[in-house]
Amino acid sequence: MTSDLSITIAGIKFKNPILTASGTCGYGEELAEVFDLSLLGGIVTKSITVKPREGHPPPRTAETEGGMLNAIGLANVGVDKFIEEKLKFLEPFETRVVVNVAGAAIKEYVEISARLADCPRADMVELNFSCPNVAEGMTIAGSAALAERAVREVKAVFPRPVMAKLSPNVTDIGEIARACEAGGADALSLINTLVGMAVDIKSYRPRLTNNTGGLSGPAIKPVALAAVYKVSRAVKLPLIGIGGIIDYRDVIEFMLCGASAVQIGTSLFVEPDAPIKIIKDLKKYLSENKLGAVKELIGKLRPY
Amino acid sequence: MSKIVIENLAIINKKEVGSGYFLLTLGFFSKTGTIKAGQFVHIRLPRSNIYFRRAFSIYDYNPGNKTIDLLFRVLGRGTAALAAMSPGETLDVLGPLGNGFKFPNKNETVLMAAGGIGMPPIYLLARQMVQKGFDPSRIFFFYGGQTKNDLVEISRIRKLKTRLYPATDNGSYGFKGLLTEAISSVINGKEARYRIFACGPEGMLKALDQFGRTEQIPGQLSLEAPMPCGIGVCLGCILPLRAGGYTRVCREGPVYDIGEVLL
Ligand SMILES: Cc1cc2nc3c(=O)[nH]c(=O)nc-3n(C[C@H](O)[C@H](O)[C@H](O)COP(=O)(O)OP(=O)(O)OC[C@H]3O[C@@H](n4cnc5c(N)ncnc54)[C@H](O)[C@@H]3O)c2cc1C
Ligand SMILES: Cc1cc2nc3c(=O)[nH]c(=O)nc-3n(C[C@H](O)[C@H](O)[C@H](O)COP(=O)(O)O)c2cc1C
Ligand code: FES
Repeated sequence: MTSDLSITIAGIKFKNPILTASGTCGYGEELAEVFDLSLLGGIVTKSITVKPREGHPPPRTAETEGGMLNAIGLANVGVDKFIEEKLKFLEPFETRVVVNVAGAAIKEYVEISARLADCPRADMVELNFSCPNVAEGMTIAGSAALAERAVREVKAVFPRPVMAKLSPNVTDIGEIARACEAGGADALSLINTLVGMAVDIKSYRPRLTNNTGGLSGPAIKPVALAAVYKVSRAVKLPLIGIGGIIDYRDVIEFMLCGASAVQIGTSLFVEPDAPIKIIKDLKKYLSENKLGAVKELIGKLRPY
Repeated sequence: MSKIVIENLAIINKKEVGSGYFLLTLGFFSKTGTIKAGQFVHIRLPRSNIYFRRAFSIYDYNPGNKTIDLLFRVLGRGTAALAAMSPGETLDVLGPLGNGFKFPNKNETVLMAAGGIGMPPIYLLARQMVQKGFDPSRIFFFYGGQTKNDLVEISRIRKLKTRLYPATDNGSYGFKGLLTEAISSVINGKEARYRIFACGPEGMLKALDQFGRTEQIPGQLSLEAPMPCGIGVCLGCILPLRAGGYTRVCREGPVYDIGEVLL
């Protein structure tokens, strides 16, 4: 029996549920030297902003127990170069391209999404709401009202599906998820990194120049699973689970909790070919368990 | 498009070549042929709860014997885990990664500076140059460490028949003082044409970068930064460029021209 690994999210078909997460796979150029990107369900490109950004000074990553902290500071080439060079590079690959968008104000998300509207290679946009919003003094991810408005305004300019990426650094992630749904989001991805810190006890200095950073890797998987579980009960939207995935078992856990697909992030730093192994193992799991399609796993959790 | 290769390589031999210094001999890559001095491998540490790989310069290789040598000093958790491995076990190795040194012209005089555990890529460059017919007497090889114990593997360097100048901070072997002072004591005045190649502690590289820029001596330095991914996707291993912006040491480096990076 050949198992069907494909998944459809907001009308877009992914050949399998394995995507690479924003900020952990650049724009695909380096990973293309490791494996054929066409094997992936999709690639989510590094957050892009209106203008290029160099990011924070080093050190901007720190190893922690079961993961890492990062405060890269949204280093990216800016939307112009992204469209001219990076999107062009991705053109020939038979995989879905999800373009992650970031900004310091809602109008920047709108401006970038409007530019991407004319680029059919951008199959979908993912809105990174974890960035500080300069005018409001908070993240969009932390405000239901801002999140709803941001999604609505991007939806008005981008003709293909819009996905909002949720932050775990909020009081009630379900409330933000409902606001995004109300704003017209086609899908949600979760979670982004958790705010964290590490200190060097010799110098009394934080181990990141930004003082705090975002925690990722296996250490955050339980938090991410609980978030997916909670949000799957709060909204009807398809979800893409993210957080600490290293193997196919993790993928199954996320899907059982309600995710239609997943993104692999920090694992890529340790095993750059992790997605390929996961896809292979997932296929094997399905046939061994006599499952005809991977989508049969979505939300099949049997909670107490 | 070039290829980034991940392979399981067997540990063929492990030898403590000085207190806390280990020479590790691995099996050769099956999917990669050429190695340039200055390139590195990124190694997973099994049987430990350390999540990230660690980078090690390729110290030597022998395609005939199908071996790769690494030389490391136990500094922290990662290197301690590596030192605990035994022959017969395998290591998950990513590489060879990064850009190597540019070979000098045969008529140039080369000044090599190897500081402590920065020695491996400098040795390999000298070895490759000598093998390609570069006159070893035109290579001034400065090898510095804190004490005699830090000048490991000096007999291997000696076999190249370069002009070898050992130096120790405490004078327990060779010149007494910093490597940069040893260099000044030998190279006085402006002699013909030099080219510098160096790898070592930050202070030494900074001094050589300054020396190269003020004396207008060209050369290359192999630099270091903590490397989460080693392949250019995390943007963690950056250093500031003199011309502005940042460079990824794993991808654009680890070898840079003197003056290129703001040290
Ligand atoms: C391109 C490249 C080539 C390298 N080649 C070699 C090599 O040939 N041989 C070798 O022994 N090492 C080499 N290193 C360094 C090596 O990768 C490890 O970073 C280093 O050995 C410490 O690892 P650890 O896990 O033992 O220490 P950790 O547990 O990570 O840290 C322990 C202590 O060491 C300090 N430390 C961590 N990393 C470094 C570093 N890179 N330099 C100085 N102090 C550090 C930490 O601040 C801490 O105080 C290379 C690094 C790079 C980037
Ligand atoms: C170094 C690094 C950079 C990241 N950059 C971005 C980014 O630019 N935009 C974004 O939405 N998420 C970014 N993330 C978050 C990841 O996409 C992902 O949500 C998070 O790391 C959790 O997944 P993981 O545990 O599999 O890494 C970054 C993560 C890391 C580790
Ligand atoms: S180590 Fe990740 S970009 Fe260099």
